[in-house]
Amino acid sequence: MPQDEAGTGAGVSRRKFIAATGAVGAAGLAGCQSESSGDDTTETTTSGNNNQNTQTTTQSGSSEPEMLTAEGSSTVYPIANTGSSYWNSNPPNSDGEYWGSNDEGTVPGWEDLGSPDMRLADYFASLYGFEPTGQQATPPFMTSIGLSHSGTGCKSVWDGLVDIGNSSGPITAELGWSESQRDQRVVDHVVGRDGQPVVVSSDVYDAGVTELTGEEVRKIYQNEITNWSEVGGHDQEIYVIGRAEGSGTDTSFRLNMLGSADAPMPGVNTRFGQNQQVAQAVQQNEGAIAYMALAFTGPQVQPVAINFEGTVYKPDKDAEHTIFDSDYPLNRDLHQYTKITDDTPNGTDMREAAFINMFLTTFGQTVFVEGNNYIPLPTKDIESEKAKLPDQA
Amino acid sequence: MSSLQDRVAAVPGAFSRALRRSREFVAETDPVALAVVGIMTVSLLGALVGFLLVSALTAVPFVVFLASAAYGWVFHQGLTARALTFAMTVSTILILLLIIVFIFAESVPMIRYESATVFGVSVPGLRMFIQPNWDAVSPPIRYSMVPMIHGTVMVTIIATMVAGPLGVAAALFLSEIAPPAVRETVKPGVEILAGIPSIVYGFIGFTLLGPWASDKFDILGQGTYLFVGIVVGMMALPTVVSVAEDALAAVPESMKSGSLAIGTTDWQTMTSITLPAAISGVSAAVLLGVGRAIGETMAATVMLRGVPRLTEPIYNVFYGQETLTSLIARNYGEADGLQMDALFVAGVILFVTVLAISIVSQYIEWRMRRKLGGEA
Repeated sequence: MPQDEAGTGAGVSRRKFIAATGAVGAAGLAGCQSESSGDDTTETTTSGNNNQNTQTTTQSGSSEPEMLTAEGSSTVYPIANTGSSYWNSNPPNSDGEYWGSNDEGTVPGWEDLGSPDMRLADYFASLYGFEPTGQQATPPFMTSIGLSHSGTGCKSVWDGLVDIGNSSGPITAELGWSESQRDQRVVDHVVGRDGQPVVVSSDVYDAGVTELTGEEVRKIYQNEITNWSEVGGHDQEIYVIGRAEGSGTDTSFRLNMLGSADAPMPGVNTRFGQNQQVAQAVQQNEGAIAYMALAFTGPQVQPVAINFEGTVYKPDKDAEHTIFDSDYPLNRDLHQYTKITDDTPNGTDMREAAFINMFLTTFGQTVFVEGNNYIPLPTKDIESEKAKLPDQA
Repeated sequence: MSSLQDRVAAVPGAFSRALRRSREFVAETDPVALAVVGIMTVSLLGALVGFLLVSALTAVPFVVFLASAAYGWVFHQGLTARALTFAMTVSTILILLLIIVFIFAESVPMIRYESATVFGVSVPGLRMFIQPNWDAVSPPIRYSMVPMIHGTVMVTIIATMVAGPLGVAAALFLSEIAPPAVRETVKPGVEILAGIPSIVYGFIGFTLLGPWASDKFDILGQGTYLFVGIVVGMMALPTVVSVAEDALAAVPESMKSGSLAIGTTDWQTMTSITLPAAISGVSAAVLLGVGRAIGETMAATVMLRGVPRLTEPIYNVFYGQETLTSLIARNYGEADGLQMDALFVAGVILFVTVLAISIVSQYIEWRMRRKLGGEA
């Protein structure tokens, strides 16, 4: 967490930043309200159509839902921000690329959603009782994602400056809370995970190495095991691929797999900076082992199950323990915190629920989580996360 | 001794002559033009000072300079042009000097960190060259330049072995044997080769040559000095052909005719007259190619392994770890602190090497001109 440390050092600027974000949020909100009420007037005067439409107008005029705001960790930011961008543009279900289906394509997880006959934000908002607008770039309520640090995001949601606080670390560690304090004050929504599955090249996988123990991976990277035959594979030297020396990926692998952030890696044969290069090198070389973002795996680049002290984490979303789990040592949770208030005793209001629920679908996990090279949640976690949200309308 | 005295005496003489000449120049020139050039000089110097102090007011003297230059260009073009061209030359040299000072200054912490004690005397930077371990993360943290220097030397030797013979042979053919029509079409063609971006070579090396070599030579993984050297040699080839051909063509026709007149064959003339006469230029061509090989970055970065360590045994060309240039290109994004300073040290080593090569090739060129100058 280097960015969090840096953030603590610049306390003043952080506070200023929050204030500024709040002000911008409020200004945006005001602009949004006046703008949409203006739109509504023109709509009624020019097209003055059926009953239902007029009703919508009056309703949104009187109690228009506020803009949903979020800020925090740069690690969670890509997920939240892509989601927000999709949400704000409110694409129609005939789009095919961002939402819905047409001749040219269908978004992932479209069947699971039951092919709804609505625009993106209209659909997800309507699940929690909001009226669809039916208009491009006009969702039932706008969303805005700010970028700062995990600690700032946690503090901002606790201070009520934003609706959702994004954090790559648990709020207990970020703000020094006890677990009971956390449970009284906020609800923790996990939308995805950050981590690097261990992958091997297809020849190794086909020769039967589909599972390694944590100790074996450590020995391979520290040059104590140099041939696949030592771990149940064929007689082939191991081509060990690492990541750019001193990079975040490199450091977290050393920390979680080899025991400490400065553990030596004498077994590494090659280092690459980018996931694409790693995937390419694993594909075109025999006997390769590497760790990289899940989005780049495939039939030529196979993620393997890892056995940590007797628990086998499988690369299968429906297994009991999976490499997508929170306690898989190479993963960390990406949190979205919402505050428990007097109005929302269960912690999540309808706007927050509508937005967060979007990420807890096959569509959201594939597009927003995997699409940004993060680890999607396994099936059982999606269910337990959905249980934290209020009942759908 | 007398010559020294002469020289000492000559200094004030030259000085007073320069003073007299500038006084004449001032007397002859329009005072308005002089004032304009004076304003230009002062404002440009002011802008430089502002730039060095990172002042927000730097724009003010610079705008004054631009305005006075524009005025001078319209009303006193001759003198303004002289002043402007002089200013351009000075700023080129100044920029170069600033860059040199910067990379040296940035590498100082690393040189301090890697001090080694020899016979009780602490020599800054020495440990970078007397032990081969590089590890920027796990203790003991060491930044040895030996693996990268080894890598650069390996790649350069192989590249020279490819580009030297091929390039000189091609130059000899183009200059001495090929009919004019062939020369006129092939030479520009060879020069076009120099325009292919190096990432294209690197990409071919990474996706095609690397896996192929790994398979055929039974190498663990991909990345070999041999193929990086061959690819870089190919890239240096156009430079070598082009410069060597110029050198061979510069050998006076009378020398060749004289040789042929005493009954030698074309081939004998080539090997015993043309090539020896042009040998300085040909070596300069090869040296320029070597300079290109040392500085080549993209292809090496993409094809090498990026793990700084010596190959075993040391002449093993089938494993390719890291060169000075690829170290910088691979790590600049992630490095900070000492690791970043280590990259600047690699830059300094590269700078000094390329400077030395360039001086040597200039010297060879100068010798060649002196040797054949009377005739050319």
